[in-house]
Amino acid sequence: MGRLSAAKPVLTTPAAAPTAEDSPLPMATEPAVPFIEIETLRAREFLPAAKEALGSLLSEQAQGKLIRPMFNWAGRNSLFPLHWGLACCAIEFAAAFGARWDAERFGVVPRSSPRQCDLLIVNGTVTWKVAHKLITLYEQMPEPKWVIAMGNCATGGGPFRTAYSVVPGVDKLVPVDVYIAGCPPRPEALLDGILRLEQLIKERKE
Amino acid sequence: MSEMWINMGPQHPMTHGLWNLRVKIDGEIVLDVDPEMGYLHRGIEKISEDRHYNEIITLMDRTCYVAGIAWEHLFILAAEQALHVEPPERALWIRMLSEEFQRVASHLMWYAAFVQDIGLMSPFLYGMRDRDLVLDLFQSYTGGRLTYEYMRVGGVRNDLPPGFAEQARKVCDWLLDRFVEYDRLCSGSDIFHRRCDDLGVVKAQDCIRLGITGPMLRSAGVPRDLRKDRPYAAYDRVDFDVATAETADVTGRYVVRMEELRQSVRIIRQALDWLDKNPGPVMADNVPRWMGAPYAPVGREGYLLKREYPKGVGFSAIEEPHGEALAYVVNEGGEHPYRVKLKSPVFVNLSAARHYLVGYRVADIPPIMGSVDICVGEVDR
Amino acid sequence: MEGEELSRRLVGKFPAVVVEPFRETAGRVRFPPEILLDLFREMRDGLGFDHLGQVGAIDWVEEREVFYTLWSDREKQYVFLSTRVPASAPHLESLTPVFSSANWHEREAWELVGIEFDHHPDLRPLLTPTGYEFHPLLRSFQLHEPEGLEVKVRDV
Repeated sequence: MGRLSAAKPVLTTPAAAPTAEDSPLPMATEPAVPFIEIETLRAREFLPAAKEALGSLLSEQAQGKLIRPMFNWAGRNSLFPLHWGLACCAIEFAAAFGARWDAERFGVVPRSSPRQCDLLIVNGTVTWKVAHKLITLYEQMPEPKWVIAMGNCATGGGPFRTAYSVVPGVDKLVPVDVYIAGCPPRPEALLDGILRLEQLIKERKE
Repeated sequence: MSEMWINMGPQHPMTHGLWNLRVKIDGEIVLDVDPEMGYLHRGIEKISEDRHYNEIITLMDRTCYVAGIAWEHLFILAAEQALHVEPPERALWIRMLSEEFQRVASHLMWYAAFVQDIGLMSPFLYGMRDRDLVLDLFQSYTGGRLTYEYMRVGGVRNDLPPGFAEQARKVCDWLLDRFVEYDRLCSGSDIFHRRCDDLGVVKAQDCIRLGITGPMLRSAGVPRDLRKDRPYAAYDRVDFDVATAETADVTGRYVVRMEELRQSVRIIRQALDWLDKNPGPVMADNVPRWMGAPYAPVGREGYLLKREYPKGVGFSAIEEPHGEALAYVVNEGGEHPYRVKLKSPVFVNLSAARHYLVGYRVADIPPIMGSVDICVGEVDR
Repeated sequence: MEGEELSRRLVGKFPAVVVEPFRETAGRVRFPPEILLDLFREMRDGLGFDHLGQVGAIDWVEEREVFYTLWSDREKQYVFLSTRVPASAPHLESLTPVFSSANWHEREAWELVGIEFDHHPDLRPLLTPTGYEFHPLLRSFQLHEPEGLEVKVRDV
């Protein structure tokens, strides 16, 4: 597994780029379901689909008592935060998933792809250079989604509030559900914030 | 096949922080790289020009968040020169003890992160478990887990609490046993060697030409360590060896850091013995109380603001867990420093990325960058 | 290497150089900007200071100072070098032909303090966002409380 030669492998001369006529498989002009819809299908379509399925079995009132609480119960017990370390708080974020605190027992499992996440934990200082990347990541997450501003920097700029390069609080960029104070917050504080978010999700109506 | 540039970052499991590695690839082979930094640029050097000296210590913790107390130490050494203050001897030993504990915590954090990069899961849990024990010790005498605000111009904020030495010795014994387990898990495993041997090689000559310092340089066989070569604090009065390796690859860096963990424990034990025998003050006498105190005296805040410090410059260099860190503090007689320049070892190690990434495969990038031990906070500052 | 010896070995070749004692290092070498490359070649090849520690810059309003730190493994010592360029024309020759590791240091000094390094291979902003127009570490750049930003509220 040593250093490989950067020289290109020998290739035959490539033919001219294939045109649409040459292509053996005809390309569909449009996918049957738009891509973005597939991403959000499960979450967004769950309630109407469940209502439709249960509509013949249950009364209107019973549906309201059953479906929404079940949806919230499932959502709040499997929060998937985005695996993203910004600054100091990311170290405490990692410690919360270490052996002592073990945040995974609350169903919180960090994922590396925003497409799999429903929780954005902003664990550190947000600079203007990273601001649009953060918004992109937030927009890539499927609905419903939540944001935790972890630590003073994400809450209001922290000790770097006056700096020329720092966003004074991530709520200037994306809506925030739970703020956690501390510089950095201890892992217990992060767990408390996650539990409070679960409480918020539990009380969620529509 | 065709060449293309891809972005690894700023959100990527490999980065361990907020930066973007732009990679030019041809199939699986890396042809060129271009690290893109600045996503965590918080303007610490500029804010420092707007703060009192003791307020800057707060920023130093956050400059490098895995080695906060080492950066406090770096800044305090330069600030004491600039302000003409001599700390008492006991404070020097406590600082050295703190820095070594920080080295252990930082290397354990590196271990936990690095082994995840090469695909092992359980060492992450072991590394974090043992790191938390060290952070408990920090918490018992500084009050913080990551950001301590412990050192002061002229000494340290408070002495060690009673019973600290016994607890610290217990942790040292525990850690030394665990290091054997770490080796059994990683470097004793054939899988580890197949993954890491001959990866990311930078030979000694190239290291010096590129300015690389720290475990990367020592893994190339250069026994360079500022704790030995240019002793500060009380490093000239403790016995320890400089860990080196010959292979100059990812395995070599692992071996060096593991040996440094053992040497740090060795230094910590000597420092604990010395501190047991030599009680004394931890703040210099000639420092005004408000300057060393953790708080400004009630009713004297105006006095604090109007204070003029003497003119001076300070230059310090320490062997931070990642390598050689430099600080240059210029004081022009105001209440704030005129300029604070910090040089991070990771900044230089990362600027040489082209020399240890080009020619390897894309899948080799995570172990190589993991072995460099990146802390973006101190690169971007 | 003591300060006197450094002074003796340098001043013979470069009469314009001033060596003064400085903070537990081999000395502080003040030099005019024109001899930069020759001086650093001599420091590296002749005196053995082969490891570039840092390049930084200070804004002294009228002029700007650029300082360098070199380390010698043989002498186990640092040496501190500094030069000044006028703030009206902050041009300095790039050190990259002698020490290639000066690359990122100079990019940083350029964007933060506004020193323009001539013949630098790749003088792009390193830390600040693309399109950022200020040199934040200049004394004329003032920090202030953020203002005029809107908080986003989630519709419930």
